[in-house]
Amino acid sequence: MSADRVAVTVDQSRCIGSALCTRTAPDALALAPNGRATPLHPTAAPSEELTEAAEMCPVEAIAVRHAATGELLAPVW
Amino acid sequence: MTTAAHPEAPDAQPLVPLHCLLRAEPGPPRQAALPTGTPVWVLTRHADVRQALAHPGFGRASLYAPDAPPLTLTPNILDDPASMLNSDGPDHQAIRRTVQRAFTPRAIERWRPWVDGVVRELVDDLVASGSPADVVGGLTKPLPVRVISRLMELDGLDIDRLGHWSDHALSTTAYTAEEIRTAIGEFSEFGYRLVLERRKNPGEDLVSSLVQAADQTGGVSEAQLTSLTIGLVIAGHETTMTSFGNALVYLLDPQHADAWRRIGEDLSAASAATEQILRTVPLGDRTSAPGQLRRAVTDVEIGGVTIPEGAIIACDSASANLDPEVYPPGPVDLFAPLGTPSLTFGAGPHHCLGAWLARMELELGLHHLARVLPGLRLTAPVEEIAWRTGLLTRSPLRLEVSW
Repeated sequence: MSADRVAVTVDQSRCIGSALCTRTAPDALALAPNGRATPLHPTAAPSEELTEAAEMCPVEAIAVRHAATGELLAPVW
Repeated sequence: MTTAAHPEAPDAQPLVPLHCLLRAEPGPPRQAALPTGTPVWVLTRHADVRQALAHPGFGRASLYAPDAPPLTLTPNILDDPASMLNSDGPDHQAIRRTVQRAFTPRAIERWRPWVDGVVRELVDDLVASGSPADVVGGLTKPLPVRVISRLMELDGLDIDRLGHWSDHALSTTAYTAEEIRTAIGEFSEFGYRLVLERRKNPGEDLVSSLVQAADQTGGVSEAQLTSLTIGLVIAGHETTMTSFGNALVYLLDPQHADAWRRIGEDLSAASAATEQILRTVPLGDRTSAPGQLRRAVTDVEIGGVTIPEGAIIACDSASANLDPEVYPPGPVDLFAPLGTPSLTFGAGPHHCLGAWLARMELELGLHHLARVLPGLRLTAPVEEIAWRTGLLTRSPLRLEVSW
């Protein structure tokens, strides 16, 4: 496992505020007042919770990328 | 006119097509009453509906708590407290997690070539049957059934029987409480046997993957698994057929003849039109409730109003989908991007699991039908349409078209 930082983005035009991600990865994502998910920090430590949040998003609005290389880490399968 | 799903229906005033239904003007939360007399706060603004559906202060499970007020005159399958729909928070997420992966956009996209093939086949058969033809019996009804039957590997099962159960499961007034209970009982028995069978002999189908995922994760009860399984059958039978049928009532109006041709010429136009149609053509009359119900588990402020703990809210997505704060008022531009997602599939944790499958079926269904039959038209005025009524959704029972 790499300890490299990851960058989390939420496509604001796709997000439907299911809150599945904010409940799965509450340290990294929160619902903004407009009801859409928003990353809490510009980068984060990689975690299973973040991967799961990106994979579970009903509209695939979340992307977890390698902060330095931009490589898409989740969702991928 | 015969309405199989509503045998006792008198032939009263002709029902208006769904796209012509009057919608409440979006505004602040206001008080109304359910048919049971239970007071309800109705939310009609896009921002309010969206916020409420995503707010942890509103739940579904509490709608069925011992102290909950009466919500429906005749309960149907959506009132099953064991179902995923009626669970909240971590309980809900435990179940949702087991099914979500099979329904993400890219998971559904893998089915596109196959769904495309089914649509082409049905359209070709419809054309071969000759003009005029019933497009409900020939396309809008069999398409979703074939798709879900394939995803669940139900091939060879009695489709009419599944349809019968499905109708009862979403009944509002079409059937008696006893008839609904009996049908849901049989349906659940069928679902339970299917779960057991796929656990024993797993395949590549959706039910097998659900059972495997649930068994691996743990914490999903047999009743929940059964309820999920039959929920998929119902969703596969009912909502897509309803949307498709009502979309055709709307699009085959002569004033949309150019749009119809464009949908047939260009798949991306069909895709855009699908989103606009889903936004603007409601699934039903909402006679049993003015919107999707939730109950406040704590005091929550929405749209400038404090909804007190224990109160019921109804999220009127049909009105919110026309909110002029979000979507341009006036005639719908079928080919304009939505910008903001519509609330047709809900929002928040219970956002429709099958949304992407429904979109794909509609988009391909409309595109291929319009591609092969660009001059398609209704043979009779919309006032003469026979509707399926007494259910949560309303759609044409038959729709005769010619070309």
